[in-house]
Amino acid sequence: MHLDIRYPIGLLLTTFGAILAAEGAVVRAEVLGVNVDLYWGAFMIACGATTLGLAWRASRR
Amino acid sequence: MHLAAVDVVLLALYGVFVLGIGVLLRRQVVNSAEFFMAGRHMPAWVAGLAFLSANLGAQEMIGMAASGAKYGIITSHFYWVGAIPAMAFVGVFMMPFYYGSRARSVPEYLKLRFDEKTRAFNALTFAVMTVFSSGISMYAMGALLALLLGWNLHASIAVSAVVVLLYITLGGLTSAIYNEVLQFFLIVFGFAPVVYLGLRDAGGWHGLAARVPDTFVHSWTSLASADANPMGIEWFGMVMGLGFVMSFGYWCTDFLVVQRAMAADSMNAARRTPLIAAVPKMLFPFLVIVPGIVALGLTLHPNAGAAPLLPKLADGSYDYNMALPLMMSRYYPAGLLGLGLTALLASFMSGMAGNVTAFNTVWTFDIYQSYIRPRESDAHYLWMGRMATVVGVLVSIATAYGATRFNNINDFLQLVFSFVNGPLFATFLLGMFSRRTTGDGAFWGLVAGTAAAALHYDATGVTGGASLLPKLAILHSYRSEMAQNFWGAIVAWTTCFLVTIAVSLATRPKADDELRGLVYGLTRHDLDDDRVWYQRPAVLAVGVLACTLALNVLFW
Repeated sequence: MHLDIRYPIGLLLTTFGAILAAEGAVVRAEVLGVNVDLYWGAFMIACGATTLGLAWRASRR
Repeated sequence: MHLAAVDVVLLALYGVFVLGIGVLLRRQVVNSAEFFMAGRHMPAWVAGLAFLSANLGAQEMIGMAASGAKYGIITSHFYWVGAIPAMAFVGVFMMPFYYGSRARSVPEYLKLRFDEKTRAFNALTFAVMTVFSSGISMYAMGALLALLLGWNLHASIAVSAVVVLLYITLGGLTSAIYNEVLQFFLIVFGFAPVVYLGLRDAGGWHGLAARVPDTFVHSWTSLASADANPMGIEWFGMVMGLGFVMSFGYWCTDFLVVQRAMAADSMNAARRTPLIAAVPKMLFPFLVIVPGIVALGLTLHPNAGAAPLLPKLADGSYDYNMALPLMMSRYYPAGLLGLGLTALLASFMSGMAGNVTAFNTVWTFDIYQSYIRPRESDAHYLWMGRMATVVGVLVSIATAYGATRFNNINDFLQLVFSFVNGPLFATFLLGMFSRRTTGDGAFWGLVAGTAAAALHYDATGVTGGASLLPKLAILHSYRSEMAQNFWGAIVAWTTCFLVTIAVSLATRPKADDELRGLVYGLTRHDLDDDRVWYQRPAVLAVGVLACTLALNVLFW
């Protein structure tokens, strides 16, 4: 049974995204008027969750 | 640049992930086929992203941003001319021979197609180049971390070497490939915000174009003459030297990248591997070159109240190598800075792991098994592969320390690469597409091509430039080292091509039965007509080339 690489990818993106989003939500540092940690973190969480969902769906087939 | 706690947490988490993958894959590596060839079970998209990532060393990321700042969007030719066409070619035409021959490495294909001496020549030069390249990349990363963060050079080199060593020794090529895929996503997510924030600060693409010379935002208009562009090269040298000889020499014959495609789970997947890699590859100029142009734009014409971004060196020129790190330093807050640095670290590790896995395979199969200890058990070669990984990393570390003593060792290595890879593509082209090409022809063609490249280097110079090697005479001066390298590659390829033909005509070729599956005219061609369009290599290749053409026109 081989490891589905989408699990580590999804987990990494979700974890990193959550840390970034939390940092953005707490510190609220803005660059050029954008809370880049918060928005980029949220985007990474979305990408990570999608990847995990695809891996989970493949494992159910 | 100072790291906050959140940045350190992200860097540490990345270490946990890469080592965790190695540990998870450890039980799977039970024989040499799993260790060296990943059991040939990689899906096309995984092999494709690894194919791309193995080429994304830290020097590539830092160097391309630096070239973007120094030369502008003309640097995109390293992607749109110097990579995509060759990737399409290897996928459609060459992969059937690599994969179909069941060779375990590129030198082994040379043995099957030609003879033992041609394999030995390629295996030895390749093994030496990979460990040296890996060491120089290690030094570059350690020096960058020391400069940016004040980290200890020795500790940076040791920690990163141990991490790469552990995950390759545990999980072999599968671990390297999986980590390369992980690293690809980190690189994209780590560098994409700097492009957005940089362009936003510069006033968008049009605002940026107003800040830099016109030649920096057009890729072809200044190539009519070598005097008209900062790279000092004209269109013919660019297309033939970079786009044909150097590009095809690297993407079609370098085992470092070809090994990823050979690990695919089927012939169709192996053929699609470079074509899948070509899709993100054609977009990478926006990720790595545009930040460099932005850095120059914000240096020549800074915004009100902002300091110029790039510092000046003692000779008055800008320190282009700092373009990407300084962009990250200016725009990344705590958190995103940790992500960006993790991406830099990931790019370094993917480049180093690529070199080390290619080295341990070529050493074990093409040198150790062939000339030192043939007929040993599979378990013995698996053990030797792990030992070769340790030795490869140790030699890389030694090279890294060697690089601290010689400030031009990287330039020297690039020069040697151009000597070796340029003629090699002529050998493959004639070997794969003509059954008349002989082993003697291939070997002497390679030797003559390499010698011609060395002679060309020795007989030419660069206006105002210093030489890495002593010169016998300077018969011609180029406007840049890049132009000298491109033309050197053309000379090497042409010499190898002509000598191989001449010697082949004077020697006896192999019988057709020995060449089945190794030569175009003697191999069955699977057109994949029954597959959907996105699984057909020819359709993908046409699509990739059309998109690349469109990008060239867009930035003409």
